[in-house]
Amino acid sequence: MLELLTDYTVQLVVLSSAVTGATSGALGCFAYLRRQSLVGDVISHSSILGIVGFFWLWFVLTGDGNKSLWLLIPGAMVASIAAMILTQWITNSTKIKADASLGVMLAIFFGTGLTLLRWIQRSSNPIPGQAGLEDYLFGMAAATTLSDFWMIGILTVVSSVCLFVCWYRLKLLTFDPGYAAGLGLSVGRWELLLLSLLVIGIVIGLQIAGVVLMVALLIAPASAARQWTNSLGKMILLAGLLGGGCAASGAFMSAVRKGLPTGPAIVVCLTLVVLVSVLFAPGRGVLSRRRTLVT
Amino acid sequence: MNRQAMVSEGLSHAVLPGLAIAFWISRDYNSPWLLIAAGASGLVMIWLTEAFQRTKLLDPDASLGIVFAGMFSLGVLFVSNFLKQTHFHADCIIEGNLAIASLDRFEIGGWDLGPKSWLVMLLILIVQILFVSVCYKELKATLFDPELASRFGLRPRLFQLLWLSIVSLTTVAAFNVAGSILIVALMIAPPAAAYLVTTRLHHLLLVSAIVGAVSAMIGFYASLFLDVAPTGTVASAAGFVFLLVLFCSPSNGFIVKQWGHWQRNRATLECLALQWIKDGSQDRFSFSRGRMRPFRKWQYILKRLNRQALIEQASGHYALTPAGHKKLAAKLAEFNAAH
Repeated sequence: MLELLTDYTVQLVVLSSAVTGATSGALGCFAYLRRQSLVGDVISHSSILGIVGFFWLWFVLTGDGNKSLWLLIPGAMVASIAAMILTQWITNSTKIKADASLGVMLAIFFGTGLTLLRWIQRSSNPIPGQAGLEDYLFGMAAATTLSDFWMIGILTVVSSVCLFVCWYRLKLLTFDPGYAAGLGLSVGRWELLLLSLLVIGIVIGLQIAGVVLMVALLIAPASAARQWTNSLGKMILLAGLLGGGCAASGAFMSAVRKGLPTGPAIVVCLTLVVLVSVLFAPGRGVLSRRRTLVT
Repeated sequence: MNRQAMVSEGLSHAVLPGLAIAFWISRDYNSPWLLIAAGASGLVMIWLTEAFQRTKLLDPDASLGIVFAGMFSLGVLFVSNFLKQTHFHADCIIEGNLAIASLDRFEIGGWDLGPKSWLVMLLILIVQILFVSVCYKELKATLFDPELASRFGLRPRLFQLLWLSIVSLTTVAAFNVAGSILIVALMIAPPAAAYLVTTRLHHLLLVSAIVGAVSAMIGFYASLFLDVAPTGTVASAAGFVFLLVLFCSPSNGFIVKQWGHWQRNRATLECLALQWIKDGSQDRFSFSRGRMRPFRKWQYILKRLNRQALIEQASGHYALTPAGHKKLAAKLAEFNAAH
């Protein structure tokens, strides 16, 4: 089985999954700390409309089926941002509360996206290359190409640079937005940046984890890392490591068993990691709590 | 209403492992084991989520997300591995098989009583109606003020569990017919649409049910037209009905509200224009002096006043007609009376 690692495709798949998992995991720390897990869930479900929609638009405009991430990730971003704006608008201007409006977004975006997907698949003159589109539901890392890897790489580099440059302000905004506003930070603009980082963290992983399970790839590494450290920097690094590791193993498992969707494999890994962290982490974990209580 | 909209999403994903295992054992789409196993799986999810939340180590939303994602993944892996040869594959999870479900009819003694799943859903609907009508007061109290309810001895904890079980049961029974995303959409969007229109609980229930049924019908016909599975169309129909209500509702709708704003704004500007004409400060309307922007808005107001014969033009100046004077006086009196 391990000789598979010498195969170029498998190497590419595993490497790009690792990078993706690391970025999602790291950016997911902000989502986790700011209690945006469910927002992340609905955003990732909504992005299917963008993915399928952009695919279809490209076909209408050029007659080709293009599944490259350079087309689909912007689509996912557009749909996610639209979903978020609409949710915010509904929550702010009507009596509907935040989680109900997130649910409505789910209905609209995911429902329409699914309809469009099925329509594309059933249409009488099939679009070339539409076969892999359904994999965006549960993820299929094996579909990663080299150009996809560059797209992922660029997004990773951009978000890492962002993190480095704006580190202290992002840290402040995550933990104490009131104080930040008091210091004169224009909170609106920085919130926008954090939101963009969230969207990047989500769309980057859609190919390997799929829309339905993306939220786990975003939140689980952060939740696990949180148990082992109290410092934001270490948490982000650890979450990146855990995310990357689980994503790589999930992708590898999916490469070994053809036809196994990648998303669930990754999530099972991640869930184990979270369980282990919650139980065994020194100082915070369940077992260590029991021990201190007894003594 | 309980702000637990996302719990139903979690439940709908989490029932998959139970369903998959039950199907693997029984190989029969309609065995009651499916319902039972899925219900059990839903309860497992709730228990695990609460366990995680009790440790207080994880953010509550995050624990919900992780638990249901984990269970759902286990289910999908199981299906991909062991159930590859059957109809029960990943697509069905998301979508259910509504079209086929209607073919499996329930027969007693040779009488065709309709599709089995329809009967099951009808039964669940009856159970729900019974539950809601019998325990209406308790549910209402538990929903709005659990502490008060517990002080009255109403045991809100019990009702919450009962409510969650009914939600699980509905999710599970509907799953067979409709798949997971659809259920979430139908559980959240119709009540949200109903909440826009009314705040009384019994109206909410009724309107949600009607909206749900209507969305399902619209969605189903759309799916026939587009030749796709009904799941996506019904879910988006529910969502679009919500948007429709949001914009077009005659009492609370966005369009009506904006129209009201615009009308009030216009009335204020008309009043202002009348007052200025009376005062003789004509140059306020002149664009060349750069006094009043937006120029076109004032032109519109003046034209309107002209049409209503409240002002008249004489040698390039505006003047109030007697009707205009009367209207201005009336408006000012109204204003003074109101403040």
